[in-house]
Amino acid sequence: MAEEKKLSIDPATLEMIEKANSEGVSTAFARAEVMRPCPIGAEGSCCSNCAMGPCRVPLPRGRTETPEEKKKRRGVCGATVETIAARNFVRKIAAGTASHGDHGREVAKVFLEMARGEAPGFEIKDEQKLLQLALELGVNIGNRSNKEIAIDVGKILEADFSRQEGELVFLKRAPIKRQEIWKKLGVLPRGIDREVSEALHRTHMGCDQDYKDLLLHGAKTALADGWGGSMIATELQDIMFGTPAPVASQINLGVLKIDEVNIIVHGHEPYLAETLAVVAQMPEMIEYAKSNGAKGINLAGMCCTANEILMRHGVPIAGNFLQQELAVVTGAVEAMVVDVQCIMQGLVEAASCFHTKIITTDRRAKIEGATHMEFDEHHAVESAKAVIKAAIDNFPNRRQNVRIPDYKTDIIAGFSHETINYLLGGLFRASYRPLNDNIINGRIRGVAGVVGCNNARVTHDDVHVTLVKELIKNDVLVLETGCAAMACGKAGLLVPEAAALAGPGLRSVCEAVGIPPVLHLGACIDNSRILIAATAMVKDGGLGDDISDLPAAGVAPEWMSEKAVAIGQYFVSSGVYTIFGASWPTEGSKEVTDFLFKEMENLYGGMWGFETDPLKIAKMVIDHIDKKRKALGIDKARERVLYDMAMRRELEAV
Amino acid sequence: MVNKNKVEMKSAPGRDKVEVLGETFEPGKPEGEEMGKWRQKLESRQEKLKYLETGERYYYSKDWYGSEKRKNPA
Ligand code: SF4
Repeated sequence: MAEEKKLSIDPATLEMIEKANSEGVSTAFARAEVMRPCPIGAEGSCCSNCAMGPCRVPLPRGRTETPEEKKKRRGVCGATVETIAARNFVRKIAAGTASHGDHGREVAKVFLEMARGEAPGFEIKDEQKLLQLALELGVNIGNRSNKEIAIDVGKILEADFSRQEGELVFLKRAPIKRQEIWKKLGVLPRGIDREVSEALHRTHMGCDQDYKDLLLHGAKTALADGWGGSMIATELQDIMFGTPAPVASQINLGVLKIDEVNIIVHGHEPYLAETLAVVAQMPEMIEYAKSNGAKGINLAGMCCTANEILMRHGVPIAGNFLQQELAVVTGAVEAMVVDVQCIMQGLVEAASCFHTKIITTDRRAKIEGATHMEFDEHHAVESAKAVIKAAIDNFPNRRQNVRIPDYKTDIIAGFSHETINYLLGGLFRASYRPLNDNIINGRIRGVAGVVGCNNARVTHDDVHVTLVKELIKNDVLVLETGCAAMACGKAGLLVPEAAALAGPGLRSVCEAVGIPPVLHLGACIDNSRILIAATAMVKDGGLGDDISDLPAAGVAPEWMSEKAVAIGQYFVSSGVYTIFGASWPTEGSKEVTDFLFKEMENLYGGMWGFETDPLKIAKMVIDHIDKKRKALGIDKARERVLYDMAMRRELEAV
Repeated sequence: MVNKNKVEMKSAPGRDKVEVLGETFEPGKPEGEEMGKWRQKLESRQEKLKYLETGERYYYSKDWYGSEKRKNPA
């Protein structure tokens, strides 16, 4: 009998799955058992782009196909399996870029409203970041007020969404050599919306039918995410809510409190969550909670919104993507407040078994059966108060079946590029120099970005944690975002004490600087921070003159969303070797897969990879890092010898 | 903020006493939500701009381009 797949390595998750099963509550874990993935769709061999299809052109199972069979693998219109696989891949990139782009656009809108005084709940919290963008974008600073400067900054960045010609403003941040590569390949994105729209047009029935050309536009579209929509969102959020700095908090379902009103805020865009974090502390709201029998209000985060308010307020995290329904299963959540992206529709059904209210707050994401309370940024505080009040009113409705798993772990989060620069170099000469030096002398072997989602098809959190432990053991410094960071947080890897699990070189650096070996850089949108950190390493010198020269790699071992494909492609197009786990969406076409895994390296210096075993992924990352170290001529550790007087005298005597 | 830093007098070889920057860390251990918040150490706009010129020198300083020191900076 085949060994049963373990559902999670997290004890809190396992406890709540067991509770859900015994109480007859449907969760993604149980649904994944009965809903098997369609093997044709999984390999990218199904096209439904016109009504003559869907056309299914799967690879024969268990044997190599003959050339005749290959020829027959075509849709009704004659589209080859290469065209079909590439179109599907590019559509995923387009959807991911659109999601991050729409997030960024909404941030730009609220930012401009804030600057014009039309969104009174928001303000400029980080003047320095505003000044930085003003310098970068050529906005006059002088004696102008912050709000005047912000209007100019906001307008320039807002224009990036609809620009028809030219190029995105943040592309200039990349290393010079990288910009030259993009220019030569013709992949400098013009406007974010324009590239997404063109991607959908090219992949329409009967349009671009050359897989290499399709994938070239996929690369361009993805760059409009990483150096466009995502970066704009991150930068403007930093100005409005503060650039993250290290903050201590806790993670896992054990952060819920039995005697308080538990509100979970879940999704991606931070305005409502930011306001909730402030309003939940207002004495009038706490008094109202007490008048309803609770001891207080306990706000906790879920998914990327959690990362946003964790980094800026220290608000604890209840869990990552696959724990959303399980938070409801505790029976202790009065309200789960959601906005956009990664919100399972299954939440509503799970909530119907308990007293939990699922509250949708965004006009773009309503769910049948949920309560809709639209967030109005013009009246942010009032909107947040109404949501909190609804949660408090629900506290007396708690039922008998409440059980909060007793698991929570300490974490430190909030390592933005600015903070890493400051921590390594100090206030007078902030710098990445110590990091570069320690990579050159071999104490740190290299850097890996481990990011992305959870996926019900693999053991929850297992691939993330096993991979990251193996990497740090081998002296690879790990940068994390999103649900990946949460998985490692639960496993105790986001605290300085985790340096004990690192190899001797990485450990010595972490202990000297006082940082964990795994750094939490934020939400998935903040993968743009990793691009900036990589660029800063290049610009500081000694590690080549492009991101592709760095001893670095990226991994999304438990990915599931289209946004992850966009992120992966913008890392590849920026020169990073990027490995996905779980499943690979073009396996139906050897040509397309070979192009992504091999030929892309010749074009971008970065390429895709795929592997499900975490230890094998670690080996792929380390081998790549070692390859880059060799190319840089730093493959042998060179300890710097500090000469004392006796040694000097000896030298002089020679 | 820059002006508030300690300055120490040290004797230097071949010269008399010279002024050097003293310790720049603050006494005590930060706690709570304020623990890692370092950006508010920079108070005035001038300090913030100065910090950008040194801390983000590859972008905002005219005399430093790191590994990309070229005639025509990006
Ligand atoms: S576009 Fe071609 S391959 Fe796709 S569904 Fe239509 S006929 Fe089939």
